[in-house]
Amino acid sequence: MSSFKRDNKEEDDGGNPWQNLEKTSVLQETRMFNETPVNARKCTHILTKILYLLNQGEVLGTREATECFFAMTKLFQSKDVVMRRMVYLGIKELSPIADDVIIVTSSLTKDMTGKEDLYRAPAIRALCSITDSTMLQAVERYMKQCIVDRNAPVSSGALVSSLHLASTAGEVVKRWANEAQEALNSDNIMVQYHGLGLLYHIRKADRLALTKLVYKLTHQNLRSPYATCFLIRIACKIMEEEDASGNAIEESPLFNFVECSLRNKSEMVVYEAAHAMVNLKRTKPRELSTAVSILQLFCGSSKATLRFAAVRTMNKVAMLHPPAVNVCNLDLEGLIADSNRSVATLAITTLLKTGAESSVER
Amino acid sequence: MDALMEPTLYTIKGMCILDNDGNRILAKYYDKNVFPTVKEQRAYEKNLFNKTHRADAEIIMLDGLTCVYKSNVDLFFYVMGSTQENELILLSVLNCLYDTIAMILKKNVEKRAVLENLDIVMLAFDEICDGGIILDADPSSVMKRVDLRNDDIPIGEQTVAQVLQSAKEQLKWSLLK
Repeated sequence: MSSFKRDNKEEDDGGNPWQNLEKTSVLQETRMFNETPVNARKCTHILTKILYLLNQGEVLGTREATECFFAMTKLFQSKDVVMRRMVYLGIKELSPIADDVIIVTSSLTKDMTGKEDLYRAPAIRALCSITDSTMLQAVERYMKQCIVDRNAPVSSGALVSSLHLASTAGEVVKRWANEAQEALNSDNIMVQYHGLGLLYHIRKADRLALTKLVYKLTHQNLRSPYATCFLIRIACKIMEEEDASGNAIEESPLFNFVECSLRNKSEMVVYEAAHAMVNLKRTKPRELSTAVSILQLFCGSSKATLRFAAVRTMNKVAMLHPPAVNVCNLDLEGLIADSNRSVATLAITTLLKTGAESSVER
Repeated sequence: MDALMEPTLYTIKGMCILDNDGNRILAKYYDKNVFPTVKEQRAYEKNLFNKTHRADAEIIMLDGLTCVYKSNVDLFFYVMGSTQENELILLSVLNCLYDTIAMILKKNVEKRAVLENLDIVMLAFDEICDGGIILDADPSSVMKRVDLRNDDIPIGEQTVAQVLQSAKEQLKWSLLK
């Protein structure tokens, strides 16, 4: 009897209040959106239900989605912050399915140029999800302003949205290189990262401009570890292309930059650099051993992810240059019994390439 | 070849939260090539859950994706990326997702609390990753932008104990930040 009671209680505790939602009845509830004044709390709850259903994989037909979308536009009357944010989310989720979504353009443009910073960044991202290349020209002026905005989320939001749009409206986005360049100087690490991402996208077809940009940035010490990782990748790509075309310079400043990044204070960057050096064809044995010794240090980390990253990269080195990894055999042996199975497996396969049988048996 | 992979900001393939039966609480997938339909997503989640729910191992390679994960009481948090991706970047996103949610829920990271604050958790997803690009990986800055709830009961109608409690909470969090 007592166990029955407990079961019952457990069910109550773990009960999912969103579980038994029915699509049609939730869509009916959106009628509530038409009421004035808007009951923000109830409407937020209904919006959450809709988003939850979509997230669980429920499919809405075009008509259902369109009706829901239009009902949602009524909610712009209210100033409730959480609800407004949920409306933006709803717009993003429904815009691929619903018709005539451009109806909210003016509301979103108003929010994105308004005073409330909490609205501006997400409004930009929502706006760009409903915009196509022709409409983009109408908001181009605002986009440029937002990219160089002092508020970091606004700037990041605009940069990331521009990148999304670059696949459909590449020509328009290409004109924003100056703004992206300015974002690159931002103190905010994410803005710098997104600025570099957009600028790379704009410049990547132009070899000369890209090389110039990368050479300049390698001297600049980017604050953002994310941006630095990205820069390492671009530098590697340029070096590989130089190697492939046969006019490689022996002592490339780009290679020096990657090597210097091994001493960066961010673990993320150090690993990215070590990984890059291992994969570059031009890396000489001496340089390779520096990179490997860094990876060796990571093998003893308490973070499983770091150990995994290190062994995975060593595994790659072992395929090409088994002797370079020999020095780490002891560390690798220690990882055979690692609590993470992926780490253990990688350690064994790496040892099979470098060590003698005896080390695996031990 | 890793080195020749086109540099891109599209780092995240997916993020999800599952409960301790492997059911989806919230999930976002950003790459139509990897997960074209909900069916593939569900299948992947199931597979992932089976492989990870016993071992508290932080990282796994599964079906051509690197997945970092973390669990707490009855919840599992996952962040997925390509196998070529820098694992530490993925980990920074996972930590941000987890820490943000822990702050939103005031440390009670469990299924019930997530479901009760589902709207805010959805906003957190949206502020961390936009279409596969990492938007922000700093929990306190994400938190600032998503936790916009104001207490519903007007201050005059709260009991003294409630006021004290909320003041205490606020002080605690301002110190922790």
